[in-house]
Amino acid sequence: MRNDFLDVYFSGVKGRASLVLAMLILVASVPFSPGSGLTFLVGLLMIQAVFAISFNILFGLTGLISFGQAAYFAAGAYGTAYLMQLDVGMPFLVAWVLGGLIGGVFAIAVGLVALRRASGIYFAILSLALGQLVYTVIRYSDALGRDDGMLGIDRPVLNFFLFQIDLGVGERYFYFILIATALLVAFLWWVWHGKLGRVLFAIRQDPDRVRFLGVNVQRYQQYAFVIGGTTAALAGGLMGPWAHILTPELAHWSYSALPILMSLLGGVAYFWGPVAGAIVFAWLGYITRTMPGIQELVIGGVLLVIVLALPGGIAGGAARIRQWLRRRRLTNEKEAGSNA
Amino acid sequence: MLSEVGLVVFNGLTWGMAVFLVAAGLTLVFGILHILNFSHGGFFMIGAYVSYQLLVTFGGGSALSFYLAAAFGGGLVVAFLGYVIDRLVLRRLKHVDHAYSLIATYALLVLCEGFVEITWGVDYRGMATPEILAGASFQHGIFMPTYSMFVIGAGVVLFLMLDAWMQYSRTGKLVRSVAIDPWMSGVLGVNTVAVYTAVVVVGFFLAGLAGGLLAANQSLSPALGSQYIIQAFGVIIVGGIGSVRGAFLASVLLGIVVALESLYFPYYPGMLFYLAVALFVMFRPAGLIKQRGVA
Repeated sequence: MRNDFLDVYFSGVKGRASLVLAMLILVASVPFSPGSGLTFLVGLLMIQAVFAISFNILFGLTGLISFGQAAYFAAGAYGTAYLMQLDVGMPFLVAWVLGGLIGGVFAIAVGLVALRRASGIYFAILSLALGQLVYTVIRYSDALGRDDGMLGIDRPVLNFFLFQIDLGVGERYFYFILIATALLVAFLWWVWHGKLGRVLFAIRQDPDRVRFLGVNVQRYQQYAFVIGGTTAALAGGLMGPWAHILTPELAHWSYSALPILMSLLGGVAYFWGPVAGAIVFAWLGYITRTMPGIQELVIGGVLLVIVLALPGGIAGGAARIRQWLRRRRLTNEKEAGSNA
Repeated sequence: MLSEVGLVVFNGLTWGMAVFLVAAGLTLVFGILHILNFSHGGFFMIGAYVSYQLLVTFGGGSALSFYLAAAFGGGLVVAFLGYVIDRLVLRRLKHVDHAYSLIATYALLVLCEGFVEITWGVDYRGMATPEILAGASFQHGIFMPTYSMFVIGAGVVLFLMLDAWMQYSRTGKLVRSVAIDPWMSGVLGVNTVAVYTAVVVVGFFLAGLAGGLLAANQSLSPALGSQYIIQAFGVIIVGGIGSVRGAFLASVLLGIVVALESLYFPYYPGMLFYLAVALFVMFRPAGLIKQRGVA
């Protein structure tokens, strides 16, 4: 039966891997589609998907909700772009990694402050307030373009000494984003499924018990926070050359809501949830882009329904349907057996 | 020197009372439902737009009485919305994790923005300041707009009324008892659900009223919803979440901080505010006035 085949095939690791491979091929073929609008949107989507997972590493695994994730994203974006435009001729890859480190260092500082004292709503507000500091600095610094933003950020040239790759040619930068985001997602996948992820998940379930087992709960939460902040900053670093412009809105707290929306929409309990959420979110935004007001109503309405009625998001809903199918199949088999 | 002190106090009070007008309803709702309501900013914005619309539709002119009536009308409309929202959403968030209820109220804020964009469009709207408040006076070297004095007065009056209600009236005592121990209050025969609803309605009314009172101070746009809310969050957290007195004290205190900053360190406006809030959460998470029975 076809259903059985899909069920067995795609539930295994091999199935997941082939799904991921199919997704990669699909994305890689986007630049061959007519019209460059889609290519830009998919590039943006990849960056935002990493941004969303970086948030969910903290929220999905530890239950701590950060309302300042945009600050790390923007720190990486502005840090990378600023270093690129310096006169010293810093190679792009170095600037990118340093931009990520800026976000990481900021995350360490915020984590030290926020995780030590605050939990629940206080953690959300504290991360928001500290994130707004980055927004304020960007908005009022001449070197970062103030409200006008940083303009004219060029696609970089990768210099490998023996040879050079000019990412400004054709859609090369799109493929650079694809490779970079794939590596970041692979790293985050490893964090999520590895030992660190398991400890974090245990902390989420019962922090006191894990503490009794001799685990430094706060330090592990700090790891998650720093990993989330650094990967958000690295995702942000890809943004400048792709959009050619960076604006302070990237650091505003309402931009921090973006990965939250995506993660909830997709399902926070699943690693791929934020990615699914990012795709659906981009699609919702795309079809309602010419309808001011409707867009907000759709997004707000969907989010509200998810929180009130479907806390598992898309992935949770899909899991429920799979379970239902399996149960139905089992009862069918039982009936078939009793009939025979 | 003296005029500088005066300037800081005056500007600080102006900022503080404007934010207190918004924060008062927010802290009431948090005190009893334990929900930090992002959408408060959205309903504040709807209150501002409704009062604007009332003045335009009924051709109120620029008399202060019409202005106040319009603000009151905005409050009533938003209070009704609050009743509906309580029934449809807030009541269901009681047993939901804090993070999720925060997100649900953010979704409501987004809905408010969509509603305003559809109803009034994305263009800026301006509301005329009532004639009597349009002037300014210049005393002891301090420039004092009449409208600022009006905002300060409105904030102080609102605080005195709310505080008297909470501390001395029977209903206020009921609200406090439900906030501290809903189960025990229920056992003693208090209809806790009715109290919850009443507080939400009052809180939303205050949001709408604040929108109407402050409408003349700003250009109305769909971005208004997320403008005051962070300041109001800061104020109620520093004040001790759920406490009206704390929110009032914190409004004044943070207002002074903001005024000092704009006078002596104007390079990064707002920075000191966020730093002050962060420091408070770190070293005094319970706030200036600790409320009993608040999570």
